[in-house]
Amino acid sequence: MNGDVHERARMLIALSGPEGVAAEEQSWLAAHLESCPACRQFAENAGEAIASLRMVSVTAGARLVSATQLRVRQRALELQRRQERMWIVAVCCAAVTVCAAVTTLLLWFGFAWLGGWARLDPPVWAVSFVAFSLMPALITGLLLLARGTHLAEGRSSRQH
Amino acid sequence: MSATAFYFVNAMADENAEIARGLKHRDPDLLDHLIEKYQHRLLRYLVSLTGRRELAEDFFQETWVRVLERGSQYDRRYEFGAWLFSIARNLVIDQLRRKKPVSLVTLADSADNAQAFDIPAAGQLSAFDITVQREQNEQISVGMQQIVPEYREALLLRFQEGMSLEEIAAVTGAPLGTVKSRIYRGLSAMEPYVKGARL
Repeated sequence: MNGDVHERARMLIALSGPEGVAAEEQSWLAAHLESCPACRQFAENAGEAIASLRMVSVTAGARLVSATQLRVRQRALELQRRQERMWIVAVCCAAVTVCAAVTTLLLWFGFAWLGGWARLDPPVWAVSFVAFSLMPALITGLLLLARGTHLAEGRSSRQH
Repeated sequence: MSATAFYFVNAMADENAEIARGLKHRDPDLLDHLIEKYQHRLLRYLVSLTGRRELAEDFFQETWVRVLERGSQYDRRYEFGAWLFSIARNLVIDQLRRKKPVSLVTLADSADNAQAFDIPAAGQLSAFDITVQREQNEQISVGMQQIVPEYREALLLRFQEGMSLEEIAAVTGAPLGTVKSRIYRGLSAMEPYVKGARL
């Protein structure tokens, strides 16, 4: 019980700071300090430690500050350039999407007209349209696959 | 709330809003101003975390770069200083963890820690008083390096930076009760060094 009282007093001493301690707690603490030399000693020691802490000074040199400002400005410029590049990429992506949609539509009507002219059944010219549309991707895929296999073979032969 | 307190709270909220706006737009002039404003406080905190001035200076630059990159995450409801310190703290822990697993305990365990701080002589004192005071401060500074780093950090944030308990909790990511306990235990741990400084 007695230990709790001292601990409470010391906690109040330690936590007295910017927010302060409630008035009734402060008066309780003052009364306790009057009658308790050990807690009074703790308060004095804490006060000295705090005063000493407040005297500790670490100063940043002007060179550090200006170097930091320069680095931050350079990084800001880098980020701005990256953002601008991303903006250009986004605009290009949007333009390509629009162009692809328009081209697909035109091709579809083109195949429909050709199918009608050649008197083909709609499924026939539709399949042709799909094959024609997929052809560039298929060819590119096959070429990349071949190149990948070639590279892998080259690497394994070099290892041997 | 008194009129003066209301004025200060409003002024701080306006300042925080302005900082948040500037950080969102990566305003270099605002960052220059903030770097100048917080230069000593941030470096002092980093020196206390790392225990080495050169390392602290590296982290000082890195912290501001990170502030620039993550400026949009700043919440204007909180004080900018507390957010800045939490970024610095996380940066130090992240960077050192990459090299080897560390906690705050291992951060400042170097022999020359006490020399990381400059202890200025108080003005208007005799040469003898200055010497005595310097020695006392050095003794206390040594004590600060000997106590548990979490306690040291709490004491520095509280008494050097003048942060509120809530701000310290935000910076360190510790519950409020733990912050209170660290301050109390930190001051208790400093007692022998204060007594030693008087001898």
